[in-house]
Amino acid sequence: MSSHYEAPIREPLVLGEKSYHDISVDIAKPIEGKANKNWYIAFTISLIAFLWGIGCITYTIGTGIGVWGLNKNIGWAWDITNFVWWVGIGHAGTLISAVLLLFRQRWRMAINRSAEAMTIFAVFQAGLFPLIHMGRPWNGYWVLPIPNQFGSLWVNFNSPLLWDVFAISTYLSVSLVFWWTGLLPDFAMLRDRAVKPFQKKIYALLSFGWSGRAKDWQRFEEVSLVLAGLATPLVLSVHTIVSMDFATSINPGWHSTIFPPYFVAGAIFSGFAMVQTLLGVMRKVTNLENYITRLHIEYMNMVIMLTGGIVAVAYASEFFIAWYTGSPYENFTYMSVGAATGAYGWAFWSLILFNILIPQLLWIKSIRVSFIGSFLISIAINIGMWFERFDIIAIVLSKGHLPSTWTRFEPTFVDVGIFIGTIGFFGVLFLLYARTFPVIAQAEVKSIMKVSGENYKKLRDGNHE
Amino acid sequence: MKKYWKSVEELNENSSIVAKLEEKEFVSEIATDEFLGDKETLEESSTSRRDFLKYVGFSTAAASLAACEGPVRKSIPYVVKPEEITPGLPNFYATTIADGYDFANVLVKTREGRPILIKPNKLANGTTNARVQASVLSLYDSLRLKGPKLKGNDTTWSDVNAQIKASLADLKAGGEKVVLLTGTLASPSTEKLIADFTAANGNVQHVQYDAVSESATLDAFQEVYGTRALPNYDFSDAETIVAIGADFLGDWQGGGFEKSYTAGRQADTGKMSRHIQVEANMTLSGANADKRIVVKPSEQVFALINLYNAVTGESLPSKATAKDADIIKAAKQLKKAGTKGAVLTGIQDKNAQLIALALNAYLNSSVIDTATVKYTRQGNDAEVQQLIADMNAGKIGAVFTFNTNPVYTLANSAEFVNGLKKVKLSVAFASSEDETASKAQYALPTPHYLEAWGDVQMQAGSYSLTQPTVNPLFDTKQFQDCLLAWSGSSESYYDFLKNNWNSAILGGTSWNQALHDGVFTSKASENKAKTIDVATAASSLKAATKEGAFELTLFSATAIGDGQQANNPWLQELPDPITRASWDNYLTISQADATALGFSNPVQDNGAINGDYANITVNGVVVENVPVLIQPGQAKGSFGLAVGYGKTKAMKSEMQVGVNAYPLAQDLKVVQIASIEKVSGTHKFACEQLQHTIAGRYEILKETSLETYNDKSIDPKHSWNEVTKVSLKHEEVDVTAVDLWDDQDRSIGHHFNLSIDLSDCTGCGACVVACHAENNVPVVGKHEVRVGRDMHWLRIDRYYSSELDADSLEREINKNSTSDKVDDYYALEVPAENPQVAFQPLMCQHCNHAPCETVCPVAATSHGRQGQNQMTYNRCVGTRYCANNCPYRVRRFNWFKYNENSEFDFNMNDEYGKMVLNPDVVVRSRGVMEKCSFCIQSTQQVILNAKKEGRKVAPGEFNNAVACSSACATGALVFGDVNESEDEIVAKKEDSRAYRLLEAIGTDNNVLYQAKIRNTEEV
Repeated sequence: MSSHYEAPIREPLVLGEKSYHDISVDIAKPIEGKANKNWYIAFTISLIAFLWGIGCITYTIGTGIGVWGLNKNIGWAWDITNFVWWVGIGHAGTLISAVLLLFRQRWRMAINRSAEAMTIFAVFQAGLFPLIHMGRPWNGYWVLPIPNQFGSLWVNFNSPLLWDVFAISTYLSVSLVFWWTGLLPDFAMLRDRAVKPFQKKIYALLSFGWSGRAKDWQRFEEVSLVLAGLATPLVLSVHTIVSMDFATSINPGWHSTIFPPYFVAGAIFSGFAMVQTLLGVMRKVTNLENYITRLHIEYMNMVIMLTGGIVAVAYASEFFIAWYTGSPYENFTYMSVGAATGAYGWAFWSLILFNILIPQLLWIKSIRVSFIGSFLISIAINIGMWFERFDIIAIVLSKGHLPSTWTRFEPTFVDVGIFIGTIGFFGVLFLLYARTFPVIAQAEVKSIMKVSGENYKKLRDGNHE
Repeated sequence: MKKYWKSVEELNENSSIVAKLEEKEFVSEIATDEFLGDKETLEESSTSRRDFLKYVGFSTAAASLAACEGPVRKSIPYVVKPEEITPGLPNFYATTIADGYDFANVLVKTREGRPILIKPNKLANGTTNARVQASVLSLYDSLRLKGPKLKGNDTTWSDVNAQIKASLADLKAGGEKVVLLTGTLASPSTEKLIADFTAANGNVQHVQYDAVSESATLDAFQEVYGTRALPNYDFSDAETIVAIGADFLGDWQGGGFEKSYTAGRQADTGKMSRHIQVEANMTLSGANADKRIVVKPSEQVFALINLYNAVTGESLPSKATAKDADIIKAAKQLKKAGTKGAVLTGIQDKNAQLIALALNAYLNSSVIDTATVKYTRQGNDAEVQQLIADMNAGKIGAVFTFNTNPVYTLANSAEFVNGLKKVKLSVAFASSEDETASKAQYALPTPHYLEAWGDVQMQAGSYSLTQPTVNPLFDTKQFQDCLLAWSGSSESYYDFLKNNWNSAILGGTSWNQALHDGVFTSKASENKAKTIDVATAASSLKAATKEGAFELTLFSATAIGDGQQANNPWLQELPDPITRASWDNYLTISQADATALGFSNPVQDNGAINGDYANITVNGVVVENVPVLIQPGQAKGSFGLAVGYGKTKAMKSEMQVGVNAYPLAQDLKVVQIASIEKVSGTHKFACEQLQHTIAGRYEILKETSLETYNDKSIDPKHSWNEVTKVSLKHEEVDVTAVDLWDDQDRSIGHHFNLSIDLSDCTGCGACVVACHAENNVPVVGKHEVRVGRDMHWLRIDRYYSSELDADSLEREINKNSTSDKVDDYYALEVPAENPQVAFQPLMCQHCNHAPCETVCPVAATSHGRQGQNQMTYNRCVGTRYCANNCPYRVRRFNWFKYNENSEFDFNMNDEYGKMVLNPDVVVRSRGVMEKCSFCIQSTQQVILNAKKEGRKVAPGEFNNAVACSSACATGALVFGDVNESEDEIVAKKEDSRAYRLLEAIGTDNNVLYQAKIRNTEEV
């Protein structure tokens, strides 16, 4: 990234009197140093949750999907709720690294690495659910269009579930490549700093022989741009396709043409909220306050406000259309009077509260730039977006076309256990990442020091003190 | 040490060969050198050292893999193949079920010598209910008595015969009385046999006992017509039917009336009978009635007398009831119908039955038939009570019970047990070691009717034969064979039966033909009526009628009946057609009484309902912890409770559900004055339907009145059978005119449709059990049904009407603009106090544009050339997307492994129970979706048979092949090929009543519904 001119009124993106070397030291510190007590506590909790989840998954696969709370009329509930929730979370990473890269938003440099890591780890969790929600997961590979000896059997290209398989796997692979490309110079930096031979060897392997030559940098820039171009449509496509799991079906409340844009907005909304949550913790734990600043928090909150606004408008139009049709079948969609006053009223109002009302606090500047404020709001949005998917799935399925099929859903400990397990798995991956990977794209951050560093800005403005 | 000789040479000690042999193991040189010594050949060989090692590796791996054996399934071929059995092809036998409660002419499908399905014997006009359909599984009940027992210890038949013969001789010598206590037999040959037995053994009395007694009607009919039988009814030409406390579409007087009832209610003939039901419990008859008058049991008595007075103009002693205005209207209706009217009553009082007979006689009713009378209930309450008294007084020498379980079903069972102890010889013939068999000295196993010979006269002039369809599974002996042996005869019952038929019944016609048909008919003779003293009857009826704050009516549930098949999982899992609860009996109570007494049925978060418990007391007898279920349409101040539950002997633990209500049926009366008390505890119901009304979605279940239907000026397509409209290019068009799909040409080959007539469906549930039997549908048990995981491929939805319909609700809201609209709309979800009821059988709709087919990622569900939506179990990975996308919610998922799993200890976990499985239908594994297949195994069989015989498939052939439509007694389900113009289905498809469920979705279903017609015309 070449240094462009930057308006003096822009706030600095890197605080403190940082030299290039300071940045290397700051970023390498969590990797080269010893983990503190908090890290061990968090890792232990995550690991226990992960193991508990593995136990619950083993129980499910060994006994049958019947150990979940599903029934003949509600064939999906927590499984697909969790799937969509995790996929949604996995949206911020690519948006930040690809779309913001194309728009030359430099503030993304401090957060894109972790956001992408989060994306990849979240997609791992998401990918787990479609597999384990199958009645016969050992035959899960049948959804792949691979040549087989079952006769002329082939997958059904009409099925949105099959589109999911392609969308998710493409997204995961492109995200992974993009992430790794960005990591190369940083791994090389760690390799060069490493004193232990084993560590050096590992980072040498991970950095794919990065030499730092001008040609390396040129190719790096080109590949980044190409991958950003490839990844940008994926930001839109993945959740569009996930939304088609619902939108192409015939259930009132699912069968809705507004779903693709609305789901994409919701996904970015939840993804940014999750980035806020993770960075809120990480900047404290790894002492990166100078890199992840108020400015980053505020910018992300602005994206949250925008996408949250789109989501709120989508809710309103869903509610309006359900009422406007005058069809009795629309009386109980997840956005309807029936839902608000029915057995799942609590879930409906949780969604309204967490997804619409609480995020409105971000209009207040003091909350918008407050670390603790936006951390708490991001948690609320994470909960709210989970409820959104739960409402769409469970409320709609609980009141189908025929009144004789109306029923309810109650999760079992296995449903809850698997969800907690994925949070634990996500935590384990993220904590290991925080200890072994450069959590900030230091090579890129260094490139903006001369335009956006606090130090530089002071120098330029002649504020020598 | 043993010595093994290698050759004769060894005899010669000095033989050089022997010496050589001792030195060398091999006599001749082994050609190793020749093989390996030649370096050149070796070098030329393409087998390198590495190749050699590969071969070794491969053969080791192959050998060890071959050692991993698959499970061994033994199938034993016939040593001598029976002539009539071809493996893979079914055989059908006509036979008759007569278990004392259910009587029916049936056709039994056997495969490789195993009965697997019961069908009605349509040649013999047979109809089957759910219990008859399920009886094939009772044959394979693993808890059947497998050999004779003496005081709980195994014994042998020869010992039993010797001992009982000796005892009988002693009793005869002592002049002591021998009593045969049986359920209703209605068997001419057995009656003759009993006469022979009596002749041989002296003082013998035959007492018949029905757990659910029709003794009052039998007494009344006997008094008037001189023969102990039940009058028959033919409703096919009836104009007005007034039933007072008579569930004639259920088990009233043996049931079996639904066929003629619906025959008289075919709206397309322009007229249908008007059915007025006066009752307290919500019964199947009440659910089907055009008008339902809700009165307590004690008021039913006065309703009957008032009806009599209003029709005849007499003034018998009576009392005014709250519903007299309705009764007077009913009387007018009856008078208008004249000879085409009929009055039925289930009041268990001889005088009430006399009044009903007198009223029918006054009307000169052609509906009641006093000539071809029914013999399917023979129980004599007075004789039974006398017997118990005599037993306790020590006047009885021996009691033989057969086809009855008095220790379980008698209210005064303790007295009976006491008396049994005083009897010198007590012998119970029983199919399982039930309550009675375990109290008697001898428990003798009887064969199931599918293993036995027999005959039955269900009604005058109609004789049916029972023949074995399988070799006896256990060491059983027929009651009749034992009686023959103990009468000193060496004849088998088969010979006796055949001789009796040839001499007394067949009148020279062929026995083989009768056996083939399963039935033989002759002419019934008229019974002469005496005059009835109605006045005396009415006054003593009035005097005998007691009123109470709470009146209990015991009834036999559709599924379990009198309880003799309570160990049958298909029946336990069959939801009650009215409450849709399975695996339970419960006290039904009106909403008003429930509110007053503090009972409720809260819905749980898992979609199940709970209930409270009550203790019910009748004359000091308490039945504890009866769950309470609120029943719309239950008369205030009345309760209902089903008998047949709460059995514990010879029952699998899963099947021991409900409470035994028989102790409340004191003096064999089902109506009792009871008191009720709420007790602590929460009951978990297994109810399949939570939403009881149609919630304003009227196009799901279309109905109209006969008047509107007959009015030719009204176009059904624009009124009661309106097609949903959509906008196409700003024009309002029928939704059927718009289609996203290119239609295939479906006019070639077979194309199946199923028509379901909502007017003709009485909700009996026979089709549900037939589907279970034909398609190996698993039973999942109470808990799984409770949490909404029943596996019924075919279910019968039941809807109650709400107090206001959507239109009148709209008007109400507009009138009173201050009312809270949301609450008002919720009123559509609350059933009315006395609701109209409609049944809607629902199975896979086999959509031509099936939403399930497009969403399956692995294409496991696809469309058949004949219109079926086909499910490929092997391919299914179990995403359940298809079920979510099915607007009819007919797809069923295998949440667990339901076979060979001790968690689901039903027939598929049982070496006997598994014998009922249909070999043509795969047993599904866990994790796959399943659903109705339109019985493709049967339709293909029909097609192949026709092809082999070089003919076209005959009209109706498909209809008889498919399990549900062939089981339907009323013809509500009609299955057929729409490309075959002579098939009945073609006309059904064109009928003005035909509609497709949720047509607006555009799924283009192959299942049609015929709108329900109610005769609302009031005189």
